[in-house]
Amino acid sequence: MTYAIEAHGLVKRYGDKAALAGVDLAAPPGTVLGVLGPNGAGKTTAVRILATLVSPDEGRAVVGGHDVVKAPAEVRKLIGLTGQYASVDEKLTGRQNLVMIGRLLGMSRAGARGRAAALLTEFALEDAADRAAGSYSGGMRRRLDLAVSLVGRPSIVFMDEPTTGLDPRARADLWRIVREQVAGGATVLLTTQYLEEADQLADEIVLIDHGLVAARGTPGELKARAGDRRLEIRPEHDADKAELILAEVTGLTPHRGENGLLSVPLLNSSVSLAVFRRLEEAGVSLAEHAVRRPTLDEAFLALTGTTTSGRTR
Amino acid sequence: MTTTPFTTGRRGALAQGMTLAWRSLVPLRNELGRLIQFVLQPVFMVVVFALMFGAMSGDPDHAARYLMPGVLTQVTLISTNITGMNLAEDIVNGVFDRFRSMPLARSAPLIGRVAADALMTTATIAVALVAGVAAGFRITAPPLEALAGVALLLLFTLALSWVSAWLGLKAKSVASMQGMATAILLPLTFGSSAFIPPANLPSALRWWSSVNPISHLADAVRALLLGTPVGPHVWVTLAWAAAVTACFVPLAVRAYARRIR
Repeated sequence: MTYAIEAHGLVKRYGDKAALAGVDLAAPPGTVLGVLGPNGAGKTTAVRILATLVSPDEGRAVVGGHDVVKAPAEVRKLIGLTGQYASVDEKLTGRQNLVMIGRLLGMSRAGARGRAAALLTEFALEDAADRAAGSYSGGMRRRLDLAVSLVGRPSIVFMDEPTTGLDPRARADLWRIVREQVAGGATVLLTTQYLEEADQLADEIVLIDHGLVAARGTPGELKARAGDRRLEIRPEHDADKAELILAEVTGLTPHRGENGLLSVPLLNSSVSLAVFRRLEEAGVSLAEHAVRRPTLDEAFLALTGTTTSGRTR
Repeated sequence: MTTTPFTTGRRGALAQGMTLAWRSLVPLRNELGRLIQFVLQPVFMVVVFALMFGAMSGDPDHAARYLMPGVLTQVTLISTNITGMNLAEDIVNGVFDRFRSMPLARSAPLIGRVAADALMTTATIAVALVAGVAAGFRITAPPLEALAGVALLLLFTLALSWVSAWLGLKAKSVASMQGMATAILLPLTFGSSAFIPPANLPSALRWWSSVNPISHLADAVRALLLGTPVGPHVWVTLAWAAAVTACFVPLAVRAYARRIR
């Protein structure tokens, strides 16, 4: 099988620290590969290597059939880059940003204007088209950034955390755009800290942590691997004590969610009874308890040993 | 890969550079504030230095004749800040990365920057000259000689903008670039014969003013605009411009190559 994006054993060191310590990636044409991981996991470094911005210290990457180190010029003709580290010119209007990129890609003046107008419509930026990009809201800016990366109709699109910091509605807008791109035949590599996003968009997910692949598979496979069900409890008081008991009985690290919700994979039904008994002995009363199917968030915890929110605390 | 990339009609580095020069100049039209600042600064300097400081001396007309070419020199040289600041800004904002991920000629962003700045410098000289003439300064040299003065100033400014480009490519932030450029430009421009004849300075400053290349530039521009004897100043200035260019073009290009690798 020929892959649109293929990487073997990518290593990149910055000083003593290895941002990537040997990462393999592969995305068949027309699919979305979700690269999931916490801040500092190495996601951005991987994207920068694939987009020809930095060279790997070790390993090899082929994008659209071209080696990113040996033939970067060929790779650049095929790719679009958007997200954290690609940016728009804030002093130009949205339309001017798009026209500039079109002209740089060799379009005629009229061709570049036409493409810009089409993208402004597609990305719902018509009303703001002639305002400086610096005045755009976060969501508009990301949409423009994405539009700019699509001016040349790239067959391979890299999106580095395209929705980080966006509100749910702006995020949903971007998801729709990603799906449209894929429907149009493009291959998308998307990095994200949001499991929900990878779950929604990706055909396959690669979970990176500390520069290494911690797990890979379809969203369903990863969820299955985290255990079938979850035991959830919400103690009324003594949350720390409850967490300790939960950890002791199950032998797993509980995930502490919002509003004091504690949860662990439930591998054996009898475990829940043991948990309740121990809690009762310890005098911890529960406001809520439930058994339910895992989310990808918990899969992440189970597979890496850290929570997605833990790193930002 | 079902879609055809739009990049088939490839244009050369020059055409890409011109697009990027357009990109640098068009914000002036977008933002009235920037345009006003760009016009106002030379006008303000002419008024403050040539007229107000001139008025402090015993002979304001004579002082204005001396100061005006100096102000023109200073205002023009300070404008080289823009080159490095914009480069640093593009690097920090990630715009540079965007360009690098595209099929562009490696030299296009640098060509665009320098072309835009050369145009801006010419405009700055024109604004400052018009302001000076409006304030009563008269160019008393023959037109060709005066034009040579402007050309010399432009040439030296372009040489200096490579220093600015180098600083911008090396700087970690826009603010640090601005700080470094100011630290270089202020002693060079103010500590020169642009504003005060070296003979009127205390000895340490007199020494600095006499070795300062900007003194030669200011003296040459003054002599060429006023039609007075130029002495060795034109040749010394040309030599300095050549030396600065020979040093800093390779340095800037190397810093740039490192950035785009």
